[in-house]
Amino acid sequence: GIPTNEEQATGLELRALLAQKKGKDPYSIFRPKEYAGTSEDPHMVPSIGDKRLVGCLCEEDNTAIVWFWLHEGNPERCPSCGSHYKLIHEELPH
Amino acid sequence: MARQAHAYHMVDPSPWPLTGAVAALLMTSGLAVWFHFNSTVLMTMGLALLLLTMYQWWRDIIREGTFQGHHTPPVQKGLRYGMILFITSEVFFFLGFFWAFYHSSLAPTPELGGCWPPTGIIPLDPFEVPLLNTAVLLASGVTVTWAHHSIMERERKQTIQALTLTILLGFYFTALQAMEYYEAPFTIADGVYGSTFFVATGFHGLHVIIGSTFLAVCLLRQIQYHFTSEHHFGFEAAAWYWHFVDVVWLFLYVSIYWWGS
Repeated sequence: GIPTNEEQATGLELRALLAQKKGKDPYSIFRPKEYAGTSEDPHMVPSIGDKRLVGCLCEEDNTAIVWFWLHEGNPERCPSCGSHYKLIHEELPH
Repeated sequence: MARQAHAYHMVDPSPWPLTGAVAALLMTSGLAVWFHFNSTVLMTMGLALLLLTMYQWWRDIIREGTFQGHHTPPVQKGLRYGMILFITSEVFFFLGFFWAFYHSSLAPTPELGGCWPPTGIIPLDPFEVPLLNTAVLLASGVTVTWAHHSIMERERKQTIQALTLTILLGFYFTALQAMEYYEAPFTIADGVYGSTFFVATGFHGLHVIIGSTFLAVCLLRQIQYHFTSEHHFGFEAAAWYWHFVDVVWLFLYVSIYWWGS
């Protein structure tokens, strides 16, 4: 018959497909999970390095995005609205 | 090895855009040379280069998507947008010819006899071959949909049968239309009636040939197992194009063949 994507996909398409089946999104295809942004429930930011740029839209409909580097270790806060962000290490699929 | 952390396809450098542009240059200047100096060499070279460009460019896209896996869902979405925008531009292309037809036929000038069809023009009977052509294209719309469902349901044999039938219907339309062109009692030189008729139906016929070719490529790819039940955008693009060709014919039939007679 006709193969399924699972049987025949290759390369990046296959890696993205397999990761999605495990509930992961290493290539940022989907919208990030929502978090409260409080100190108890900080935004979890996956990163392949030890720092990543974060753009915070502090309030809905804001036209200015607040950009800052998020470093590994303790959660850091947006300089404008104070939302908490925590870097999490993630590897790219091989 | 450093890998990308995004789902998009940063394509490798390619010579085909340049060869395509050169082909366009050779074909256009070649057309002028043909008109003025009675030589088709330049134009033929341009046409050959165009065919080579199309073959190699689209072959590379198949290599990148099917064989190398670069067509992730976001990339595929971009390809969908692209095909839809292209078909939309073609809709506007045909809109122009329909505008020309209605401009001339809604208010026929005294030179035509103040009537449409113009005096002396014997139009084709819309209920003969043109009606058969309509049935042929509508049937081909059904068979291409059958092929699509067969792909999604992993039915290899049915997909091949349905796609083959679609292509045969396309050839049948082209053959019938060619015969009609040969047998028609009027020519393109017969005033504005001839101009609007043959330019509009002529470009449509060209698009039928292009669409049939696209479907034929899909048939070859299907036979060679390129498509999966979830990922077969090349086929979907061909099917969209084919439905567009069918819809244009329906407008042609109602406007030029039926109302215009």
